[in-house]
Amino acid sequence: QVSVINTVDTSHEDMIHDAQMDYYGTRLATCSSDRSVKIFDVRNGGQILIADLRGHEGPVWQVAWAHPMYGNILASCSYDRKVIIWKEENGTWEKTYEYTGHDSSVNSVCWAPHDYGLILACGSSDGAISLLSYTGDGQWEVKKISNAHTIGCNAVSWAPAVVPGSLIEQPSGQKPNYIKRFASGGCDNLVKIWKEEEGQWKEEQKLEAHSDWVRDVAWAPSIGLPTSTIASCSQDGRVFIWTCDDASGNSWSPKLLHKFNDVVWHVSWSITANILAVSGGDNKVTLWKESVDGLWACISDVNKGQGGVSAVTEGQQNEQ
Amino acid sequence: APLTDTVPPQVVPGADSSSRQLCFAWGPAEVLVCETLFGRADEGEAGAAARALTDSVAGTEDRAPSSSRVFVVRRDQDIYIQTLRKLFNESHGIFMGLQRSEEELAGKSRKAQLVQVSKNYRSVIRACMEDMHQAAVSTRDPALQSQYSTQVSILSAMELIWNLCEILFVEAATAGPLLLRLLDWVRLHVCDVDSMVREVLSSESPSKHKLFWNVVDVFVLQGRMEEAQHLLSKEASANPTSMNMYKILDDLMKKMPVPSLSNTQTLTELELKWQHWHEECQRYLQDGTFASNPHMESICKILLGDEDAILEKKELMTTWYHFLVTRLLYSHPTVKPMELRFYAQSSMDLFLGGESSPEPLDMILMAAFEFEMHQVIKECSIVLSNWWFVAHLTDLLDHCKLLQSHNLYFGSNMREFLLLEYASGLFSHHSLWQLGVDYFDHCPEYGRVYLELHIERIPLSTEQKALKVLRICEQRQMHEQVRSICKIMAMKALRNNRLGSALSWSIRAKDAAFATLISDRFLKDYCERGCFSDLDLIDNLGPSMLLSDRLTFLGKYREFHRLYGEKRFPEAARLLLTLMTAHIAPCSFWMTLLTDALPLLEQKEVIFSAEQTYELMRCLEDLTAGNPDKQKFQDDDIETTKVEMLRLALARNLARVIVKEGTVEGS
Repeated sequence: QVSVINTVDTSHEDMIHDAQMDYYGTRLATCSSDRSVKIFDVRNGGQILIADLRGHEGPVWQVAWAHPMYGNILASCSYDRKVIIWKEENGTWEKTYEYTGHDSSVNSVCWAPHDYGLILACGSSDGAISLLSYTGDGQWEVKKISNAHTIGCNAVSWAPAVVPGSLIEQPSGQKPNYIKRFASGGCDNLVKIWKEEEGQWKEEQKLEAHSDWVRDVAWAPSIGLPTSTIASCSQDGRVFIWTCDDASGNSWSPKLLHKFNDVVWHVSWSITANILAVSGGDNKVTLWKESVDGLWACISDVNKGQGGVSAVTEGQQNEQ
Repeated sequence: APLTDTVPPQVVPGADSSSRQLCFAWGPAEVLVCETLFGRADEGEAGAAARALTDSVAGTEDRAPSSSRVFVVRRDQDIYIQTLRKLFNESHGIFMGLQRSEEELAGKSRKAQLVQVSKNYRSVIRACMEDMHQAAVSTRDPALQSQYSTQVSILSAMELIWNLCEILFVEAATAGPLLLRLLDWVRLHVCDVDSMVREVLSSESPSKHKLFWNVVDVFVLQGRMEEAQHLLSKEASANPTSMNMYKILDDLMKKMPVPSLSNTQTLTELELKWQHWHEECQRYLQDGTFASNPHMESICKILLGDEDAILEKKELMTTWYHFLVTRLLYSHPTVKPMELRFYAQSSMDLFLGGESSPEPLDMILMAAFEFEMHQVIKECSIVLSNWWFVAHLTDLLDHCKLLQSHNLYFGSNMREFLLLEYASGLFSHHSLWQLGVDYFDHCPEYGRVYLELHIERIPLSTEQKALKVLRICEQRQMHEQVRSICKIMAMKALRNNRLGSALSWSIRAKDAAFATLISDRFLKDYCERGCFSDLDLIDNLGPSMLLSDRLTFLGKYREFHRLYGEKRFPEAARLLLTLMTAHIAPCSFWMTLLTDALPLLEQKEVIFSAEQTYELMRCLEDLTAGNPDKQKFQDDDIETTKVEMLRLALARNLARVIVKEGTVEGS
């Protein structure tokens, strides 16, 4: 049974494009076509506006919270080709860095696992993906993957940090040798996997299955299994679940989750990766959970609200 | 196999799906839903123009306030209900006891132990029901009252189901005792007639009460023979004409063979006796013994297990499972567990009679009678609003070794799956999360990783809470989480200018970079204010000083000050020099150190040896000469003066020390 525990009136003057909770669920960040990014304190069912951040000159598409160990940091990306990183300093939120290296709308931003440091991946309609790394003292280093996707890149999503091979604790002070990877989805109908090798980003895999623009990709959190899982959704109405069984990341196989009747815009995993949420053009959000033998049933009952209601409905039968 | 969907419609009140799409985001515990319109303005000029057009055509009225709302939706609200707190806390205790219970007990004693656990769970449910009931009667808010009452019915249903599962699965009652248990079960749960019973019994002349026969019937239907007999005796004394009939009926009721819990007779013996008794009842009925008293005749028919007669008393039984048990009592008291399913299905059909269809609760009970444990669990998962019930029941059934392992996506079994879901739900609560930790501990496959993922999301609102979380992580060797939490706390402390706290957190996190940062802040503070804060901490750094060079310097520098304060000048002097020559001190600090040397140089007694003085001079020259961007040394008057003073002091010291060292002692 779902219940609405809080309704935050953001007072955005135009369409909201993204809303994200921070790590602890205590703060909410929203961004809108009205060019602003707003931050609310939503503890205990309240809604206190903490910041109304102005700086973008176009609709803001996404916001992303960094890991709290770096402080209170939020990234936003916009149609105005900019990526802005905001930071809370002495109780007030301010712009701490602005990246203007893209030639077109920046569609997606995603922070890397905190183990890698403070690194932000940004995907843009100019086809490039930029990686902004904080090097200290207010300085950011930029690496750019030009032509990552022809026509444009719509989404980026990092793989969870897994130390290859040993899971033994490294002696303190020694940084474990992480293999950094992330996935991207683009207007070339492809999902690509990128890997960092010797300080350079290389295309490791090309995942082909969609017949139209890939709108979102989401790499599932790790629950300790040797498999990796990525969800992708597309203009073609399909959602695929890609899995790779071996640690070397070589063989990915897609499974069709469902074919929807309309564009599918977003996919996202719950924090323990057991549920995938899919937002589609058919005005619904569907929640998917893999089960075997159809043994598992569901989470709850239908809850009827008053007045205008929006169904978060069950998916229809699979089509192959 | 293709992935299958498992979640039925969940509706978010207030959101309008006719014109808007839904944007969705996961929070750590809640989910966010807001209206939006997907579509990018970046699809070239045409796209942008199109969007702009839609926006303007839509007009401000259409961009109604509703579009600026973000809904925070939670799936499991039950954990926030105060009156259920007892349920979660106490069942946690029972759960832990069960996990730790000795499995060396075998056979009967193990079974008895498990039955006791089951009873404990049920008594917690009943206690909660009682609390909830109290809350319902004592509140004046109708909405709350309705909520509490609903909760009471849900808890009651849970107890009903659990009790049946206990009888059928945990105790696995066999033919004979099975019926007795089922009778107890029915008596406990069909309470609708209680008030009527009380009313009649407490009236002055029960046999004259208009509901008298209803109550007698209730007793008969529930197999409460003695009570029925007792009431009938009142009727007989009030109505002497029916004395004869009464005596016979009373006798029949007294003689009715019932299964017993002790092994005084075998089932075969019971069946024989019962057959015999049944025939006797039959004879009396057919002889028309009770013909003049329709009530007694109906009772006799019930004793004979006449379905129609029993069904006539539908309102007194209220449920099909009561009907089932009554039927069994009077037609097949030695029913075997595996035979229940047939009787159950027909009882439900007969009782509902096509007028109403079975409710979810009915289906769950039916699944239990059919010994379809998985089905019971599945249906309960669908119907109940949180995982508490299925998680604990399944765990118990698993301990009874009744569940085959069904591999799920994660490769873990059903028990673990449910426990993971339940415990995950607890983590969104500000204090119940601690219970969740224990549940994860007892999920061998994924418990640990789930704990890792969830424990990081607990808001560390106070230092106390952070320490609590840390202790849990440390106990389980969750080093990554320990480090992460310490870093977060260090960052928080730094932002609030609590340098000492920030430093100790970064030491605990073994975060050299952060420690360096904070040490710099300390040093900066010292330069500005001339004193250290958090002396205790710095003085007692011990080996953790070695975490970062800057930290080492901070510690040693503070040591210098201490030595100076204790007037141990030669040691202080030596330390000061070492700090520069061993490059422990950062270059930026050398000026300060040299300035610190001044008072030592100007002591009456000579402290620095010649060698040391030369070293100091060299340091000073290195400092002033080497840096091209230290132009300010020449430009800044204060700096220039300082340098001059130092040079002078050093020179003077050198002079004095040369004399001192050159002087032969005693001459």
